[in-house]
Amino acid sequence: MSAVVLRRGPVSFRVERRTLVFTAAAVLVILGLGLLGLCYGAVWASPAKVFAALSGSSGGSSVVIRDWRLPRVLSGVVFGAALGVAGAIFQGITRNPLGSPDVIGLDSGAYTGALIALTVASGTSAQLTTGSVLGGVATATAVYLLSRKGGLSGLRLVVIGIAVNAMLTAVNSWIVLRAELEVAIAAGSWSAGSLNGVGWDDLAIPFAVLAVLLVLLALRSQATHQSGLGGEVAVTTGVGLERLRLHLVLIGVGCTATVTAVAGPIAFVALAAPQIGRRLAGAPGVPLLPAALTGAALLQGGDLLAQALLAPVALPVGVVSTAIGGCYLIWLLTKEVRRT
Amino acid sequence: MPIPRITGIASALVLTIGLAAGCGSGDAEPGAGAGDTRVFAADNGQITIPVAPKRVVATGYAVPALLEADAPLVGISSWQRGLPMMTAEDRAKYDELNKVAGESAAETNYEAIAQAEPDLIVIGVPKPVLADIDLKRLEAVAPVVAIGPSLPSAWRDLSRKQADAAGALATFDANRDAYQAKTKELATKYASVLPGLKLAHLGAYGEVANGNFQREFNGSWGTNIAQDLGANYYGQVKVKGGGSKDVSEYPSIEELPAAFAEADAITYSVAADGSVPKPVQYVLDSPLWKELPAVKAGKVFALRYTEAATYRSAMTTADAIDRAFAPLLAP
Amino acid sequence: MTAVQAAPARSRSGARGVWLLLALAVLAAVAVLSLAVGAHTIAPAGVLRAVFEPTGSSDDLVVRDIRAPRALLAAAAGAALGVAGVLVQVLSRNPLAEPGILGVSTGAGFAITIGSALGATTAATGQLVLAVVGSVLAMALVYAVGHRSPLRLVLAGVALSSVLSGVSLGLRLLLPEVFDEYRFWVVGSLAGREQAPTLLPLLAIAAALLGALLLSRQLNAVALGEAVAHTLGVNVAGVRAGALVLITVLAGAATAVAGPILFVGLIVPHLARRVAGGSVPWLVAFAAVLGPVLLLVSDMGARVLLPVGEVPVAIVTAFLGGPVLIWAVRRYGAAPL
Repeated sequence: MSAVVLRRGPVSFRVERRTLVFTAAAVLVILGLGLLGLCYGAVWASPAKVFAALSGSSGGSSVVIRDWRLPRVLSGVVFGAALGVAGAIFQGITRNPLGSPDVIGLDSGAYTGALIALTVASGTSAQLTTGSVLGGVATATAVYLLSRKGGLSGLRLVVIGIAVNAMLTAVNSWIVLRAELEVAIAAGSWSAGSLNGVGWDDLAIPFAVLAVLLVLLALRSQATHQSGLGGEVAVTTGVGLERLRLHLVLIGVGCTATVTAVAGPIAFVALAAPQIGRRLAGAPGVPLLPAALTGAALLQGGDLLAQALLAPVALPVGVVSTAIGGCYLIWLLTKEVRRT
Repeated sequence: MPIPRITGIASALVLTIGLAAGCGSGDAEPGAGAGDTRVFAADNGQITIPVAPKRVVATGYAVPALLEADAPLVGISSWQRGLPMMTAEDRAKYDELNKVAGESAAETNYEAIAQAEPDLIVIGVPKPVLADIDLKRLEAVAPVVAIGPSLPSAWRDLSRKQADAAGALATFDANRDAYQAKTKELATKYASVLPGLKLAHLGAYGEVANGNFQREFNGSWGTNIAQDLGANYYGQVKVKGGGSKDVSEYPSIEELPAAFAEADAITYSVAADGSVPKPVQYVLDSPLWKELPAVKAGKVFALRYTEAATYRSAMTTADAIDRAFAPLLAP
Repeated sequence: MTAVQAAPARSRSGARGVWLLLALAVLAAVAVLSLAVGAHTIAPAGVLRAVFEPTGSSDDLVVRDIRAPRALLAAAAGAALGVAGVLVQVLSRNPLAEPGILGVSTGAGFAITIGSALGATTAATGQLVLAVVGSVLAMALVYAVGHRSPLRLVLAGVALSSVLSGVSLGLRLLLPEVFDEYRFWVVGSLAGREQAPTLLPLLAIAAALLGALLLSRQLNAVALGEAVAHTLGVNVAGVRAGALVLITVLAGAATAVAGPILFVGLIVPHLARRVAGGSVPWLVAFAAVLGPVLLLVSDMGARVLLPVGEVPVAIVTAFLGGPVLIWAVRRYGAAPL
């Protein structure tokens, strides 16, 4: 797919068409991966069986497909899109491909909250969720307030985010070092982020929150693209840059914290999806839609691989998303090196 | 071929959901009515379980305990750290059994557990780790009993509870009696020397960081079985941290002389194959170690199989301790 | 921008010289103090006796065999990481870059994890060799992929780090024993290294520090832009390659002796720039003194922060370094080099 698209790449007037082609292809890939996710499990279900279950037949396998596999597949797609969007927002605002939520400490902060819930409190799921949301939001607030001095500079936000991230990572390592071996192993696997065991009752609130955030983002997307052209252009076209940035940051933080609360810190999707999407779609800046689509495909594909790699042992998807995303990014970079 | 099996899972699922609902509304009492369920106290509350389960899934610490108790297992989690201490027979059973989860709780494969069609699930992970497991989904498959480790020496009670839940007390108690007979005999054998010694233990379990060493006191992994032989480890931790941190600590190597100065003899943990673990080797190579009175007197003993957490594996440990302590009896 | 400041340069270099002497005096004081501080309390008189008239008592052993080698390692690793940070930042013209971000530390840690999984690292020498080989490979890969532009270099480094940490995480989950060992390889520490053979990495660090000083004039020219460098007759590609080799050796050897200590390579150059300005030779000199100071102070903190046991030093450096970096960014801004 990418090869065909890339051969058309250098022709400038086809960029729009290429974005369209990319969008259609990405949607197809996501649907395909989703169907595969519904078929795959401890027992393979044929697509016919899957469609029967989805259309409401009360046949035997419906419970497993509808109540176990479907929420997992949906969460892979939706969370992946949310992470991709969050990454695109932060990379756009900071104008730095490293300015993604996982680099500037949101994931580490959420993990700190969860670790405290695990080791200090008794560690119920509700405490884990609350802890990680509080941790993520507190970190974002701290980074934002620290970098707000005479206007928000992207580079400053990244550097301060990296500093906060390093401190939080140190705290996390320390908590893990202090913990009992048994708890440490559990926390170690949580740090990878996983969609294993996600069910409908885990998803109702997160999906509602993400839907609201994404609608808000869509309403502001025109202004967002203008601001992507650069501060000067945006100011002259009358976009309230400072307020827009604040709104975008809030949306990005909301997306990251919501996903982390349910699935743990799934590293690298937010970092890689916007960059991969940008290159595949051949669009300028860090566009949101390609980032969302790429994120969804990346996370859903990664989760499938995580289930299949060492079956029946279910690997955390964070391990796989990290490895796939990183390899793909390196491959893209090498490709560009050869072209130029 | 796959289709009939998936129907099987689902029908089992529907059946158990129906059963659970029935129990909830009917408030079944143990021993009454149908007579095949009872209420069992576990980490996750009062659980209604079958009196004689036929198909049991075990994870974590419950894996070695239920293997030894000959419980009717149909699926287990991976349990690498217990492998060296398993008997050949238990090891064969372990290898043969269907694996439904990895080493950590987050790697639980719910569909594989459902496919095993258990009528009881015994989870042997520590309480904080239960948050990583979707208990509701497991409860939709079969009753779930969580019995996790607390103090290192508490395996005696915990493994008995796990075996009790799985309805496998007969074999379990036989194993326990054999262990108790052996340690009683060994305690008599060493009665003239062991109780009078001030012992200290250098451990190798858990978070031994570079430049630190693990000191284990009474009731810890490396010491609790030797205690059954009459050994006594003096002193206590500087700061009680709960659980295993009440009975072991990890001081800096600089404190080695102060920590072990009063010890008449020192025991230390080695791996199952007799090799010395890295954190222990670091201490043995330190110039400070060579200055300790017990080391100068040659009263240093290497203990194998110190991680035992079941009666049958503890028999191996007791034998190993017997061999290690033999020089004490020599005139 | 820096090229036009010819007139006040002489007086400025005098002030820098005074600052450098002051920094050296602080380093000497901190080094002496680090012999006296630790989990086991020894009176100052006891420390003096251990240094000048050792009798072989356990106090003497603690000072001479544990604390002295540890102080030496801290100084060497601090200098190596600080100077490597300067070189990376000058080379990539990115004030965010550091050896850790370029994947060197992760490469070293990954090589050690693989070694543990294969059972090859029972010997400390093996771990040293693995760490150095891992960092060299990581650096070579990142350079091959990203050498065309500074930003891409950083991006490639982050990508590689992520791949390697993902694979390490998978290994750790599959083999808990390896995981247990790796927990201590993800957090750098200077404790318990006194028995490891450190002569080779120390010599490597010393040679690379010398090399960095010799190369720093040409790097100064490269930092002014490729065109300027060419007119000054500097072989840009050669200087870049040389700096990359130095970064690899410095960061790899430091990781091999102390594990990954990520923050020193980021914080020391930022501090050094406050006194040294944009001059690369002075930056290298200040980083070589301030790095050891930071690491020695952090390591003393690591020894006394807890009633029982020690904190790995990397945690302390992050705690000291994080706020300092935030302060520096807020005070001076993160201007590109």
